[in-house]
Amino acid sequence: MTATWRTAIGVVGGLALVLAGDLPGARAQSAPAIRVGFSSAMTGPSAITGEGVKWAAQMLADEYNARGGIMGRKIELYFGDNAGTPGEAVSAVRKLVDVDRVDVIIGQTHSGACLGALPVVKELAVPMVIEACSHPKIRELIGKNGNEWAFRVNPDDVMLASQFAKHMAQSTKTVSIFAQNDDFGRGAAAAYDVAFKKNGIKLVSTEFFDRGQADYRPVLTRVKRANPESVLLVMLASEGSVFMRQFREVGLTQKLYARGSMATVEFLYQVRDSPSIADGLVEATYWTPALDPAWEKQWLERWKVPVRVHGSLAAIAFRYAVAPAIEQAIKKTGRSDRKAIRDALEEIDIPNTPVGRIKFDDTHQAFINMLLVEISGGQLKVLEKIPIQP
Amino acid sequence: MGDLVEPLVHGLTLGSLYAMVATGLALMFGVVRLINFAHGEFYMLGGYAFWYAYGELGLPYPVAALVATAAMGAFGLVYERSVIRTILPRTWHVQLIATLATSITLTNLAILVFGTQPKEVPTTLSSAILEVGGVRMAWQRLVVLVAAVVIFAGLEWFVTRAKLGKAMRAMSQNREACAVVGVDVQRVALATFGLSAALAGGAAALVSPLFNIFPDVGALLTLKAFAAVIVGGLGFVKGAIAAAFLIGVAESLAAGYLSYAYKDAIAFVVMVAVLLVRPQGLFGRRIGI
Repeated sequence: MTATWRTAIGVVGGLALVLAGDLPGARAQSAPAIRVGFSSAMTGPSAITGEGVKWAAQMLADEYNARGGIMGRKIELYFGDNAGTPGEAVSAVRKLVDVDRVDVIIGQTHSGACLGALPVVKELAVPMVIEACSHPKIRELIGKNGNEWAFRVNPDDVMLASQFAKHMAQSTKTVSIFAQNDDFGRGAAAAYDVAFKKNGIKLVSTEFFDRGQADYRPVLTRVKRANPESVLLVMLASEGSVFMRQFREVGLTQKLYARGSMATVEFLYQVRDSPSIADGLVEATYWTPALDPAWEKQWLERWKVPVRVHGSLAAIAFRYAVAPAIEQAIKKTGRSDRKAIRDALEEIDIPNTPVGRIKFDDTHQAFINMLLVEISGGQLKVLEKIPIQP
Repeated sequence: MGDLVEPLVHGLTLGSLYAMVATGLALMFGVVRLINFAHGEFYMLGGYAFWYAYGELGLPYPVAALVATAAMGAFGLVYERSVIRTILPRTWHVQLIATLATSITLTNLAILVFGTQPKEVPTTLSSAILEVGGVRMAWQRLVVLVAAVVIFAGLEWFVTRAKLGKAMRAMSQNREACAVVGVDVQRVALATFGLSAALAGGAAALVSPLFNIFPDVGALLTLKAFAAVIVGGLGFVKGAIAAAFLIGVAESLAAGYLSYAYKDAIAFVVMVAVLLVRPQGLFGRRIGI
């Protein structure tokens, strides 16, 4: 090929590229991306939750971007590390807003981090969709109660406790609570204290533990002395495996109930050498892999470890709240800025999601289904699906 | 009676763990006058080494425990050559920041390499239950207690009888004099770090079948071991061992009879109380291992 031919091909190719840039599809490709921030604990004792959130976000971005993004706008991911604490949550939100300039945040996974993030989300006027923080106080602060920028998909522990205590009252009269020593654990313990009284269950003791504990035996000895019929655990899978081994070591046989992530595949993976160790445990939750087997399969293929509950909750928040809100905002206003997304979040109504209907009320709270999941023969079994009423 | 025996057994198991980590800290401080804030991360790395040898390679428990101990011993040598030797001539501020930076780096490296999912390494002995007089405990706890006694007896023999051990003691008393009389002080410092890290690795191999291994596991452990070193008298190894058992038992009794939520504060309450009465530590004397 001569130099003249090469030059001619180059010129024609260049022109083609310039013209292609004027085509409608190409214009859509160059539309500004939607910047989505995910905030969770990426470091510290709760880092397992953040890792799950990160993996879920990457799966979602790949999935949406493969089909052209939302209304032709690609999804760009940004991550904030709240370390599961209120102080770090403030830094995480500021970083996502000031440095990454995100349009919307999904997070903060941990109740303490959520409570810490709420004022700064309001100050910086960025919409935040909460996927897993169950502290009852959050509802008193968001929507018409003061913070118009925060929305919560998951139910709180007051909502869960009123239903769960009814279920527990059918088979137990006395109970001990063993809860994480943080906002999640203390918020849940207070909610169950009230719910137990209403349902005629006597609370014989409440114990708190700091996350990352190695030895639960001293407190198990206390439970042994108190001798309740049941124990309510407020703990995550990462602590649950060690706890259950020591529970059996001490020789306790109480019926176990849980809030956190005990009746999950994460927990069963941790105790895979003795999968029946927690047989009979019943957990009040709002997500389990049986709700979305395709997601579970996709997760396993990509990450080679069992699907993580907190990543899946972030995915629910993105798929059925944030993505529809972005789509609606663009359709209605042609914009996908923070204000447009916030306004759209107030209006969305997605009736059929795996977790139930997602529509925010005037306190910016959605009312998805509650599930009772039991560990039976080392497997998860959904006992009951209970709709939560506003 | 069982009510008191159970917390005592737990306390002694915890005390064994604290003692093995505190011994390493005390040795390092005694010999080179440096507080290694990354020492808890040595325990964490030892735990992962044990998990890999036992859980992934499928080596028998005693072999896997020795592999973890040896791997950490080697790591201690590398750490001394790469980090400690560079910062030893510098001020204590530099030493503090360097060891803290190592701690943070190792924790985050562990997150990257091993992930955040806690590793479980249950052994046959950790699920086999021994029941005596109504007190139930895993056989592994007995292994921890017996192994701790053997390790501390061996250490006592080493520092009093072995040539290298004697050199460590000498250096803890007067580093300059040792150099003058021809002791290879750098080699002794190197061996001290190898031994201290190996002790942390051994502790991890003994205790990991009972507890989880995760990237952050060393953070609180360093502080508690440090409290034991202070309570025992800075740089005095036998004092640190005794103080570690005292803290383990106090923690266990407080968790069993007062409040579990505040059990982690007990080590520091004990430390403050001892410092108020005996600022030089319970067994305080001139620094020396």
